[in-house]
Amino acid sequence: MLNAVGLKKLYGNIKGVENVNFKVEKGEIVGFLGPNGAGKTTTMRLITGFLYPNEGDVIIEGYSILENPVLVRKFIGYLPESNPLYEDLKVSEYLEFRGRIKGLKGKNLKERMDYVVQRCEIEEVMKKLIGSCSKGFRQRIGIANSLINDPPLLILDEPTQGLDPAQIYHTRELIKSLSLDHTVILSTHILSEVEAICSRVLLIHKGNIHFDGSLDDMRAAFSGGTQLKISLLCPENKGVEMLSQIYNIVKFTVIPSGDEKICSFKVTSKESTNIREEIFWKCYENKIPLLEMSLIKRTLEEAFLKMVSEEREEMQ
Amino acid sequence: MSQIYAIVKKEMWQYFFSPVAYIVLSSFILINSFVFYVVLAAMSKSASPPLSPMALLFGGTFFFWLVLIVMIPVITMRLGAEERKLGTIETLLTSPVSDFEIVIGKFAAAFLFYLFAWLLTFVYVLILKAYGEVDLGSVFSGYIGVTLIGAFFVSIGIFATIISRNQIVAAVISFSIMALMVGMTFFTFILGSGKKEFFQNIDLLAMMENFSKGIIDSRNVIYLISGTILFLALAVKSLEARRWQ
Repeated sequence: MLNAVGLKKLYGNIKGVENVNFKVEKGEIVGFLGPNGAGKTTTMRLITGFLYPNEGDVIIEGYSILENPVLVRKFIGYLPESNPLYEDLKVSEYLEFRGRIKGLKGKNLKERMDYVVQRCEIEEVMKKLIGSCSKGFRQRIGIANSLINDPPLLILDEPTQGLDPAQIYHTRELIKSLSLDHTVILSTHILSEVEAICSRVLLIHKGNIHFDGSLDDMRAAFSGGTQLKISLLCPENKGVEMLSQIYNIVKFTVIPSGDEKICSFKVTSKESTNIREEIFWKCYENKIPLLEMSLIKRTLEEAFLKMVSEEREEMQ
Repeated sequence: MSQIYAIVKKEMWQYFFSPVAYIVLSSFILINSFVFYVVLAAMSKSASPPLSPMALLFGGTFFFWLVLIVMIPVITMRLGAEERKLGTIETLLTSPVSDFEIVIGKFAAAFLFYLFAWLLTFVYVLILKAYGEVDLGSVFSGYIGVTLIGAFFVSIGIFATIISRNQIVAAVISFSIMALMVGMTFFTFILGSGKKEFFQNIDLLAMMENFSKGIIDSRNVIYLISGTILFLALAVKSLEARRWQ
């Protein structure tokens, strides 16, 4: 479907992105993840042909974007960052213009317009000026534009940026439903969005791709050792004393339990050790009743922060 | 072709949505009617006027050039600069259209608007015809001149708006280029023979005088058409260059 080969983009002497290589297969929903300024938008602009790379090429459906720019752009529906629209056109005029410019006409144009209007639920604003539409509607108008010529590939740059929680939910549901018929690449700096929508994640940071794989792979790659939550029926100092004796625990922090008789801890173990068994036997030895022991699933958020901060340490 | 049509249609929607179109058209008509009235009033005093009133309307007064070099920057300044400012250039340049089609679409929209304004002046011809003889041949060649000079100036305006992010900047750039083009006529006064001939060939005032008298000189036609093509080509190249920035 899409193959980005050795992309490099310089803005003057400043590096935008470098050595970006990735492939997207038909039917995937790929999330581009990275902090602001990481190079997500630059990469999206390169794969849509808005910018041309200093090095490398983008192949979509077998065609190079540098050699067949007009043809390749037919395969792409693009929602740019901040969703620019003509404020002084009516929604219907805008969609008609976008349909025509993408080569639709006559009956076909009308059918596609009806379809995207119904799909994106923008019927009620069709006669309104875009400038007077709410942000949620504007976002849906932008998505309707990207869909109008039924392109196989949708590229959405921060599709939920600046929306309220309900609008974010609706937009995500819409994108999810679109992914049944289209390959989707979206960018975001919000991890929960990737978790909610994507099947695969590309982590981009400082203009390079740092990770490419499934969500579970990413969690595993960045999670380090196991994390547990335990609760003990004993005073806090006794619990602290016991946990300090366990060699395989890297660190533990007290979780306030609100009950003097019970103390709770968040425990991080060394990698690949069976810490749960050790804790159990230690409690038995010390005659401390173990009330609760549960695994904490690391969120992507933590994995992401860990990666970015490791990078910072390396720099220093 | 249908893509060019899409762009023209969209630009027309935007022209007639904003007050700009109506203000430009009414000022254009107001000034031209004023000139027409003054010309008629002056000529009716003389028994055998040397020129037809329409000839004076087509470049015979300084108002003609004033209207042209103010009106054309106003109708072209928005076309490219606003796309950049709003960011809609991103959806436009990632649509399946070539940079050439985008430039031609924008050019065609502004040019049609310009022609529409001049079409309104045809009323004067009808008025003259109702009261006397009109040499339709020279009126026709006058409109040819207005059309060709308009195409040349609109292409300058398109080039200026494509390279600018700000409408005012675009207007000032195109106004300056047009003013200089019109100003070339002064070199025919101040330079000696030898150098003077070159400037006589690109003297827009002399060209318009020819057209208004019914003379369609192929040198003038070729100059204006190639000037139009040059600025449109520059606009296409500037659009392309921004992808490499």
